[in-house]
Amino acid sequence: MRKNSHWGNVRKQFAMNSLAKWSLRFIGILVVLALLADFLANEKPLICKYKGHVYYPVFKEYLVDAGLSRWPSELLNVEWNKLDYDWSLFPLIPYLPQNLDRNNEHGVSPLAHQHIKSIRWRHWMGTDELGRDILAGMLHGTRIALSIGIVSMGVALFIGLIAGSLAGFFGDERLLASRARILLNCLFLCMALFYAFGVRAYSLRDALANSFFKFCIELLISFALFGGILLVGNMLVPILKLIPFLRTKIRIPVDMIISRIIEIMVSVPTLFLIISITAIITKPSIFIVMLIIGLTAWTGIARFVRAELFHIRNLEYVEAARALGFKEIRILLRHALPNALSPVLIALAFGIASSILTESLLSFLGIGVPAETITWGSILATARETPAAWWIAIFPGLAIFLTVTTYNLVGEGLTDAMDPKLKK
Amino acid sequence: MLRYIFKRVLIFVPTLFVISLLTFLISVNAPGDPLEQILNKNSQGEGQMQDKLSSEKAYREARHTYGFDLPLFYFDICNSSYPDTLYKIQEENHRKTLERLSWQYGNWKLVSDYYLKIRKLELVLLSVSSSPKNTLALNDAKNTIYTLFDTYAEKKMSYLIAHIARINRDSSLLPSNSKAIESLSQALGTMITHADPMKKYIPAIHWYGTANQYHRWFSRFIQGDFGISYQDQRPVSSAIRDAWPWTAGISLLSVILAYAISIPIGIRAATHKGELSERVSTTTLFVLYSLPNFWIATLLVIFLCGGDWLHLFPGPGAAPVPDDASILYKIGAISYRLILPLICWTYGSLAFISRQMRGGMMNALNQDYIRTARAKGLDEKTIIWKHALKNSLLPIITLFSEIFPLAVSGSVVLEHIFNIPGMGQLSYEALFSKNYPVIFSVMMITAFLTLFGNLVADILYAWVDPRITFSDSKQGK
Repeated sequence: MRKNSHWGNVRKQFAMNSLAKWSLRFIGILVVLALLADFLANEKPLICKYKGHVYYPVFKEYLVDAGLSRWPSELLNVEWNKLDYDWSLFPLIPYLPQNLDRNNEHGVSPLAHQHIKSIRWRHWMGTDELGRDILAGMLHGTRIALSIGIVSMGVALFIGLIAGSLAGFFGDERLLASRARILLNCLFLCMALFYAFGVRAYSLRDALANSFFKFCIELLISFALFGGILLVGNMLVPILKLIPFLRTKIRIPVDMIISRIIEIMVSVPTLFLIISITAIITKPSIFIVMLIIGLTAWTGIARFVRAELFHIRNLEYVEAARALGFKEIRILLRHALPNALSPVLIALAFGIASSILTESLLSFLGIGVPAETITWGSILATARETPAAWWIAIFPGLAIFLTVTTYNLVGEGLTDAMDPKLKK
Repeated sequence: MLRYIFKRVLIFVPTLFVISLLTFLISVNAPGDPLEQILNKNSQGEGQMQDKLSSEKAYREARHTYGFDLPLFYFDICNSSYPDTLYKIQEENHRKTLERLSWQYGNWKLVSDYYLKIRKLELVLLSVSSSPKNTLALNDAKNTIYTLFDTYAEKKMSYLIAHIARINRDSSLLPSNSKAIESLSQALGTMITHADPMKKYIPAIHWYGTANQYHRWFSRFIQGDFGISYQDQRPVSSAIRDAWPWTAGISLLSVILAYAISIPIGIRAATHKGELSERVSTTTLFVLYSLPNFWIATLLVIFLCGGDWLHLFPGPGAAPVPDDASILYKIGAISYRLILPLICWTYGSLAFISRQMRGGMMNALNQDYIRTARAKGLDEKTIIWKHALKNSLLPIITLFSEIFPLAVSGSVVLEHIFNIPGMGQLSYEALFSKNYPVIFSVMMITAFLTLFGNLVADILYAWVDPRITFSDSKQGK
């Protein structure tokens, strides 16, 4: 990257903000913890020798889950911590979040005496009412917290960028289309909705009840159908253009339409909306919660992009590109949008923070997240049932707080770094 | 200005319309039958003929009073295999299965014939008098019938029918002249062989007119009739009337408190920039801003409200204030109880507002007119409180519109934790028990108030800063 480019400057400014820099490192640590959660907290040993064979059970589990391998019969449905190994190396925390330690039920404090074989089996953050290890839950919860941010903001970014750039770049005047194109698009949109989603509703629903992966495949097929039908519609446009009335180009007020949609989205009480949508879903899944959060969070990004493009589209270099005869869509994608992305980064950082907060709130309330999924919010919720167990309330809450704060600090740091007034 | 307000109010209409559609869509797709709640119906497993008929009658009547026997919307765009009179069938699970069957086989006439045959068999089975000898077989047959009502997979349907036939053969439940089972399996056969699966690819529109559930609900809502709560049969408006003073009171108090504390803090932070006290307060406020309020609320309840720790405040499960207590005692008890909730409600927006105030103040202090004022020799106090304050209030005012929805959605979790019978608690309970009239009303009211709050904020904005006009609406923000 060139030294005095915009991004070079931003990076320099950001690096001078030590708080933001440390926040970024903290997020890095969280990512590592999330990726390694299976190796840090697991009921299975990392390596073990059992009945004369050496096994790598944690690695093997990945292969078994992928369908590439199978458990030998003597290791199928065993209680891993009770096996008689020749020798074994267990992960740092030898528990899974859902393991019930019968000897340490009813919430054992991390400071109190625990009924354990040796210090290797200690519950460093205590246990909950059912004897589940809190630290294991926290480590595995990191995964969910981080993927919430990525998935929901990915969805929000996708919608927000499209809506914001259409509204900001084209405004109310600049998007022209022939009557034929508008007519055919309206007609084929209805058809595409009918054939891609209406007729296939049962296939989608069955797949959703079956597995999330199958649902994704069915959804992809639906989207492909949807796109294909619209494509056919647009290919028919030249034929209809033979009629003079349909050939006339008219303005589409995209900005007005998208601004109204944003206005509606903003005035819907988001939490209520998310809660009511999750109420419909018969088989709750954390991915659906992520998708729904994303679907309600795009307005912020769209507003940022829109405001930035409103400014950019009148700059001289865009005029120059237009004078050179480039197509509008090329100017938007190649020249205008890349320069509008910096505020999006800020919105993204704050958006991730608030989506993590929303998810933990939902699992705290017990809405939308399946009961067997252990998240920071769901651990915190169990604290209400056992008020004496301070460790159940402190640790997950602290994790939520720290993660949300670091994302906010990164957002703060980006805001400062991109403020031209502060440039040194 | 008036024209602008009028224009903005006009936008309320489509917005509220879309929100009403959204909530309606959600409620229609929600699983579970609300009427079961209303009637508190027991499982139909072992019902005798008489019970069955009387409960069905009650169900039909309730369905009529609550308007569930109407089509959902003004029109219905669907595939042409979809039966347009499906809404007339009472049981929700039957409707779902029939919809699926007609989608699979594309021939409503045969599907409904098959359905009628099942019903007939059910009636025949119900009229069989049970004796100690055949109780087991009879129950098995009945349960198979109830499973059949939910089944649409081809193999499972024929298996279930064969199963009933087998039971009948083994313990001869039905009168020997009854052909109910044979005609049912025949109907299934014709339905499968005469299937027309291509029919689902042809779109169709059914028009129902204004006699539909949405119209009924929405027109009553506009007239102020919010419907009747499924759970306790009580008008929703009276439930809301009981609940809203709590939420509104706490929100209002916390907003006033937040503004009263945070404006001076923000100003101080702006004027003493760089000093240690400023850095401490800014950091503290930032930390407060990111502290999840449900965590703090949980901690406060655990550590300060009895349990194994301090018992400074009454817990969320404390006994209600007695009705016959004196007014002073009541006020005292209630406000004592509200201290903790109020802290949780306020601290987040406190940090938020003072951060904005600090930014606004710093911005204002950099302006030329402040330099002019300083050059005139005005003392710092006058400059800040008289000249800079009014201009730095601008961003604070817009916050007003953002705080409102925040307070409402925040109320869900806080009222849940502190057990305050406000709007949040009401809607939380309604959501869990699928009490949709309540959810509808809360959603609509909140959306309306949010829109209204935005409008008020915009008007205040113009009032504080006369440079802002609303004639040029084309300008991007």
